[in-house]
Amino acid sequence: MYGTGILKGMGVTIRHLVDSFVDDMRFLGQRYYSDSSMNIRQGTEGRGVFTVQYPDEKLPVPEQFRFIPFLLYENNEDGSTTDRCTSCGICAKVCPPQCIWIERSSDPDTGRPIPEPTNFYIDIDICMNCGYCAEYCPFDAIKMDHDYELASYNRTEAHIFDKARLDKPVEYYASIRPTDYLAEETARAEVIAKKAAKKAAAAAKKAAKKAAAEAN
Amino acid sequence: MNNELSNPDIPVPSELQSAVTITSLDKIYNWGRRSSIWPMVFGLACCAIEMICTAASRFDIARFGMEVFRATPRQADLMIVSGTVTKKMVPQIVRLFNQMPEPKYVMAMGACASGGGPFKEGYNVVSGIDKFVPVDVYVPGCPPTPQALLHGLIKLQEKIDGQSLKSVRWYGQETSEAVPVPVLGPDLFDPRQHALLAQQAGQVKENSESVEE
Repeated sequence: MYGTGILKGMGVTIRHLVDSFVDDMRFLGQRYYSDSSMNIRQGTEGRGVFTVQYPDEKLPVPEQFRFIPFLLYENNEDGSTTDRCTSCGICAKVCPPQCIWIERSSDPDTGRPIPEPTNFYIDIDICMNCGYCAEYCPFDAIKMDHDYELASYNRTEAHIFDKARLDKPVEYYASIRPTDYLAEETARAEVIAKKAAKKAAAAAKKAAKKAAAEAN
Repeated sequence: MNNELSNPDIPVPSELQSAVTITSLDKIYNWGRRSSIWPMVFGLACCAIEMICTAASRFDIARFGMEVFRATPRQADLMIVSGTVTKKMVPQIVRLFNQMPEPKYVMAMGACASGGGPFKEGYNVVSGIDKFVPVDVYVPGCPPTPQALLHGLIKLQEKIDGQSLKSVRWYGQETSEAVPVPVLGPDLFDPRQHALLAQQAGQVKENSESVEE
C-alpha cells in the first residue's frame, strides 16, 4: 500500500504535538523561569517539544559547553590575587585561528622575564571555540567559558578582550565545570603527594646511609 | 504595551490607564520597527544552521516579530550575514545590501562574518563583512548558539530603541549613497580604494623604472 510511510511520519509529528500538551499540563504553573523544571524537560524524562522563552528562561548549558576562553586567577588568603598564567605562550601557538596574543613582562632591573603576562588579548570575533588552548595549557590557566551573551555594536573595542575582561576567579571555574575542576585538583594533589613521598624516601635513604657510615 | 510605550513624565489618571497611552512619536515609531524586523533569508555556512534552528519552533523568533524571513531584499529590514564570506560571494552580498530599502540593518553572525574567523588569512575569504558594508551588531561564536543569536537580535532591538526620527539617516537631507560593489578579479577589488590603489600602483611603477635606469 502506498502512503504508509507518510502516515507513519505524520504519526510521529502528531505524537510530539500531543506529548507537548500533556507535558505542559504536567508542569502547569511551574514551567517558566524555573531551572529545575527546565532540567527535567530537557532531559530524558522530557516529552514533546516546547519553545524556550529565551530572555526570560534559558536552556541550561551542558558542563562541557565551550564558548570564549577565560583566564583563571587564584584568590590568596591576604586578599591579593595570583594569575595562573605564566605567559609561556603555548595557547597562542596551538590556537588554530591565531586569536591570542600575549604581552610578556620582564624585570626592569635585570631584564630577565617574569612568568606573568602584562596583558593578554583574545579577539573573540576570531576565536572558533575549539578549546585547544584549555587542553594544552600546562598550568590550567585558560579555560572555556559558558557565557555566550557577548553580542555588541563595536568589534574593534568591545570584542578584543583584554586581561581585565578575561580574568575570572578559580571559584567561578569550579562552579561552571565541577567535574573537570575536581579531576584537576585530584591530579594536582596526587602529584604533590608523590613529590613529597619521593623527597621523604630520599631523606630516609640518606639518613640510613649516614647511620651506616657512622656504624662503620 | 502600556508600560512599554507610556511616557512616565505625563501621568494618566488611573481610570483612563486602560484606554489612554501618552507616548512620543519616536517611541511608537521605534516600537513598530523593533517588533517587525524582517530578516532576509540567506545563509552562507554553518552559522546558517543555527539561524534556521533559531527560526524553528524551539527558539521561535516569531516571539520578537522576526519570523517573516523574506526571500527578496526589497522587503527585508535585516541582513543576517551568517557564515564565511568568500571573495566570490561579496559582490552579491553588497548588491543585496544595496537593494534593501532603508531602514536596513546588518548583523555579522559568527566569527567568520565578523572578523574572518579561522579563515582570516585565507586566500579566498573576506576577513569580516564590515570591510564592505556597515555592520550594526556583531555576534561572536563559532557558531553562536540560537540563544546567542537571539541575544544579538535583542541588542539590535535596543539599538533601534535608541534611534530618533530627528537624526535617522533615511529622513535626512542627504541622499544615501549605494555601497560600491566590489569586483572579483585576480584579487578582490574594492572600488572605494581605487584612488589609493592607483597611487600605490604608480609608486611601484616609478620605483621599478628608476631601478631600470
